[in-house]
Amino acid sequence: MAAGFKTVEPLEYYRKFLKESCRPDGRELTQFRTTTINIGSITTADGSALAKLGNCTVICGIKAEFAAPLADTPSKGYIVPNVELTPLCSSRFRPGPPGEEAQMASQFIADVIDNSQMILKEDLCISSGKLVWVLYCDFICLDYDGNLLDTCVCALVAALRNVRLPAVKINEDTGLAEVNLKTTSPLKILKHPIATSFAVFDDTFLLVDPTGEEESLATGLLTIVMDEDERLCSIRKPGGSALSPEKLQECISRAITRHKEVQSLVNEVLESVKSEK
Amino acid sequence: MAGLELLSDQGYRVDGRKAGELRKIQARMGVFAQADGSAYIEQGNTKALAVVYGPHEIRGSRSKTLHDRAVVNCQYSMATFSTGERKRRPHGDRKSTEMTLHLKQTFEAAILTQLYPRSQIDIYVQILQADGGNYCTCVNAATLAIIDAGIPMRDYVCACSAGFIEDTPLADLSYVEEAAGGPQLALALLPKSDQIALLEMNSRLHEDHLERVMDAATKACKDVYAVLDQAVKEHLQEVSAMLGDRGMA
Repeated sequence: MAAGFKTVEPLEYYRKFLKESCRPDGRELTQFRTTTINIGSITTADGSALAKLGNCTVICGIKAEFAAPLADTPSKGYIVPNVELTPLCSSRFRPGPPGEEAQMASQFIADVIDNSQMILKEDLCISSGKLVWVLYCDFICLDYDGNLLDTCVCALVAALRNVRLPAVKINEDTGLAEVNLKTTSPLKILKHPIATSFAVFDDTFLLVDPTGEEESLATGLLTIVMDEDERLCSIRKPGGSALSPEKLQECISRAITRHKEVQSLVNEVLESVKSEK
Repeated sequence: MAGLELLSDQGYRVDGRKAGELRKIQARMGVFAQADGSAYIEQGNTKALAVVYGPHEIRGSRSKTLHDRAVVNCQYSMATFSTGERKRRPHGDRKSTEMTLHLKQTFEAAILTQLYPRSQIDIYVQILQADGGNYCTCVNAATLAIIDAGIPMRDYVCACSAGFIEDTPLADLSYVEEAAGGPQLALALLPKSDQIALLEMNSRLHEDHLERVMDAATKACKDVYAVLDQAVKEHLQEVSAMLGDRGMA
């Protein structure tokens, strides 16, 4: 009976739950799905992490490569994020060049990296004007179930902390780079931005961590990115229903607590990976 | 030539295996909720993911519709971080297109497509980490995903590679052994009936040796079958235990 009601009137079905301040999957409105992070599972990558929010699964692999720096920023390396939404993760995506949503997500992550200043691009410089590191951060969505951005940002932070770059010296005589694979060092990560997304229902209800179904029914979406010093790195609200400043403040305080939750989870996983070795 | 010794005098390979030994296989079925069927498999350091959607209505151009059987649609892609060098194009290059075609041919031979006329079955495979035997790992992963989706097949499709080094046939080649450039054979087998779904050989091999290499590959495929069958049985036991709990409540 309930299943039939859900098919015919999905919005009404949700409203019945929201009136009682709960959601069809049993969560409260401010509750995230179970978050799992797995670090360093891909050994061919220089750093990797798999992040899961409920069913939504994203794997991030980071590859470091040499490149010539841009002429106007001779001592800065660069970071290139790329999100792939293949037909593998959901039947709503078609094969072919990246769609709007994938490009939007790639750009959003690039903005988060820039705005948060999580990595000093000068740290990626090997020899000014000659050689810098490029970090290719490739995200592959394996299972799509809403809240892609939060999952990607989680995976990014975890994977960057897993990256180890080999020591590189420029040989004075030949001008060629010499790579010493035996001595590797981690990246210096200054800030850890974490994203928290909300779905707005009927201009009144705010649902944290929306599932795919909730995202498609919602009247508005909101993503807040916060670092550990409670500074906002990015707020994204792509149209939809209007939001009062008080509501926004509520969301920001939820984002602060979410940051602590994720940060401690990442630390915990990194510790367990270390102790295994 | 002071190359890498691929087979020691004692008969051990670079990674410590015997000639006919497989790498460790770990498999899990039903890993994702969105798809109709999914599976993850690790063969040594090669890690692959397969996802199946369907059978469903034909998407895109209707002219592809076959009136007597289902269309099998495959896509093979390699993660950009799966290899030592970063891959620029994860899919759509010639190698991936060839691999896609091979997978399609393999599974058209195994799935009972005539049961689903005018419909389509999508098989997507993704290599997350590559260490030799990509095709074979993908076939094994796809087999598990198809079983998970409940699509009837003639038999399991089990694939394994075999090579021929220093007069010895080697089973389940790793990347180092593949890169050495010796003869290499990929075999996809329907193990119960001993029917060959796909066979491909690269490089040159004397005809007299072919039978020995084929025997090694066939045996390896049957070993793979035993592991896959075990994985399916374990998965079914887990699922039925879960359903049983629900029934009691």
